[in-house]
Amino acid sequence: MSLSLGHYLVLGAALFLIGLFGALTRRNVISILMSIELMFNAANINLAAFNHYLHPAAVTGMTVALFVITIAAAEVVVGLALVLAIYRNSATAYVEDFHLLKG
Amino acid sequence: MIETIAFYCMAAVALGGAVLVVSLRNTVHSALALGLSLAGVAGLFACLGADFLFAGQLLIYVGGIAILIVFVVMLLGRTSDLHLRQVNEQWAAALLVCAITGAGLWRLGGLYRAATSSVPATATTRSIGLLMLGDYALPFELISLVLLAALLGAVFFSRKDIS
Repeated sequence: MSLSLGHYLVLGAALFLIGLFGALTRRNVISILMSIELMFNAANINLAAFNHYLHPAAVTGMTVALFVITIAAAEVVVGLALVLAIYRNSATAYVEDFHLLKG
Repeated sequence: MIETIAFYCMAAVALGGAVLVVSLRNTVHSALALGLSLAGVAGLFACLGADFLFAGQLLIYVGGIAILIVFVVMLLGRTSDLHLRQVNEQWAAALLVCAITGAGLWRLGGLYRAATSSVPATATTRSIGLLMLGDYALPFELISLVLLAALLGAVFFSRKDIS
């Protein structure tokens, strides 16, 4: 049995759903950031797989995946700096304690 | 045959690491499992013949982002965290959302499921470089601006006294 695009699509969907579940259920804000990283990776697998199976001669999907990796790096750097700033003010890393704006 | 074995091994590493990331109680262990999962995804890129993406994934994700997350977890962690629950009470609703999203993804993926490829993988670094400095020159320059802004933002937000 040889590999087809469906294998990679199912794998990417499974990784995305695990990340989505983590982002929805974890309490710690760093765990939520990690789950979002898993979702980025699922998207990257899909990009590379579509590139490989549907347009083997082009490299556009891989280039877009590289851009996604760069954006993810920028996102995680700013996100972690914000988490540190919030932690310094309110001494908590749990999202239900971030309620400064709650009326 | 060897591609199939490699695919299933790497898929097991990636998915197992991901399950550990969202299920472990200790956030440090979670961050280490994230590094494992990202390495598995890098192996999948290698299975797909994306050699430059494989190297970039290892350098940026496993070597950069995962280590950064481990650092921040160790800065913020307290021993009392180990005795608190790490998931909220909404897991049933989250499971429902995941099931609906999964069903939608399954229907969408059905359009392309049977596509196979017989083209052998070739080195992609040269064509990626040509594309980035040709058609994608403007996004390439914009992404460097985004990185600079992220660098400045990180320095600004993590200063001791914002006056």
